[in-house]
Amino acid sequence: MRKLIEFLVRKRHWFLFVLLEAVSLLLLYRGNRYQQTVILSSANMLTGSVVSLSGSVASYLNLRDINKDLLERNGRLEARMLALQDQLEMLMADTVTFRGFVPDTTDSIPYTFVVADVVNNSVVRLFNYITINKGKLDGIEPDMGVVCERGAVGIVSTVSDHFSVVIPLLNPKLRLSCKVRGSGYFGSLNWDGRDALYANLEELPRHVDFQKGDTVVTSGYSAVFPPGIIVGTVAEFEKQHDDNFYSLRVRLAADFQALNNVRVIKNLRQAEQLRIEQEARKND
Amino acid sequence: MINSFLRGFVYFVVFVLIQVLVLNNIHFLRIATPFLYLYFILKMPVGVSRAQVVFFSFLVGFVIDLFSNTPGMHAAACTLAGFCREPLIAVFMGKDLPDGIYPSYRFFGFAGFLRYAFSFVLIHHTTLYLVESLTFFDPLFLLLRIVASVLLSTLLICTVEAFNIESQKSGE
Repeated sequence: MRKLIEFLVRKRHWFLFVLLEAVSLLLLYRGNRYQQTVILSSANMLTGSVVSLSGSVASYLNLRDINKDLLERNGRLEARMLALQDQLEMLMADTVTFRGFVPDTTDSIPYTFVVADVVNNSVVRLFNYITINKGKLDGIEPDMGVVCERGAVGIVSTVSDHFSVVIPLLNPKLRLSCKVRGSGYFGSLNWDGRDALYANLEELPRHVDFQKGDTVVTSGYSAVFPPGIIVGTVAEFEKQHDDNFYSLRVRLAADFQALNNVRVIKNLRQAEQLRIEQEARKND
Repeated sequence: MINSFLRGFVYFVVFVLIQVLVLNNIHFLRIATPFLYLYFILKMPVGVSRAQVVFFSFLVGFVIDLFSNTPGMHAAACTLAGFCREPLIAVFMGKDLPDGIYPSYRFFGFAGFLRYAFSFVLIHHTTLYLVESLTFFDPLFLLLRIVASVLLSTLLICTVEAFNIESQKSGE
């Protein structure tokens, strides 16, 4: 008996080793079901505040680029506003005599935005995640869409009181329903784990014609993103001879390596849409 | 005793912070990330019980996991590497090292320390990347990532060791 105990004590590092490896693997296994990682991720208070500190320093370093971006965007919007104003004046001139034209004001856009800062970000792992500094208290919930000033970024997965973790397009777990603007055909966008600049749009029917440089936008079918948010542009496409689908290589519009400010999209009617879709499926 | 505990604590905090605030953001050519925090485990004194090494390796891996949203990956890799530390030292330097010295150029020699660090880093990185890509098959790319990261981490560890005043000044 004493020999047995002595043996156990002498080999205790073996037991500790096996135990700790088991703990790690358990964490790994549970962590993959990402909803449960609120505590053990950068969304918790302690690590969150440290990374948000470093995030705030990093955001200062990028101010120049962001400023340039904003100026450009500002310019584009101004041009667009002028064009719209022109159109509006033209329409008003036209409709003076036509009383039948009544804009339908009840059909307002059911989306609002929450602006957030990126406090933690990765682009070269296989499963990348982004942490932002707004959480439940700011009205953010899982499954909300996230966009930056250039295009779609990802979908909120986990939410704590002050932080949220976003699954970006650069994560093979995420499949986003997208279409090529102008064609109406939709496919699903998926990342292959290699290059942070490109993703693949798959399952597009092969009889449709595409050009390099065509814009890829969200389809709006998922109720996460409104339709028409820019995701990227077609970089190259290949017809696969063995099946009936195109696979497009899409150059992502969002610059994931210099992500600072994002907007979280709140779809006021998401719950309603999901509920009715579920109901419809129940009847199957 | 207190002194060595304090020293370990300082090493822990400093290298974890360097890792999560700076190095985690470095991805050389999109393939290699240096993991300098292994230096903390490498520099634990010779003669510490293996159970302690395993435990602290797990701890440092766990903390890195917390910061980089990779629950379990670094912890698993570090625990294995920490477990292999003593056999590695025994293989490269023999068993008759005095207790309490810190692994350094002075005691291991440059080649000895390099071999020790390299094989330690190799074990850690191979485990880490294998665990990370369990669900993903792309063996060549995986191999490239492992090799590149191992080289980068080893280079960085040897550089830090060369500039580490503590290990030049005293060996205790």
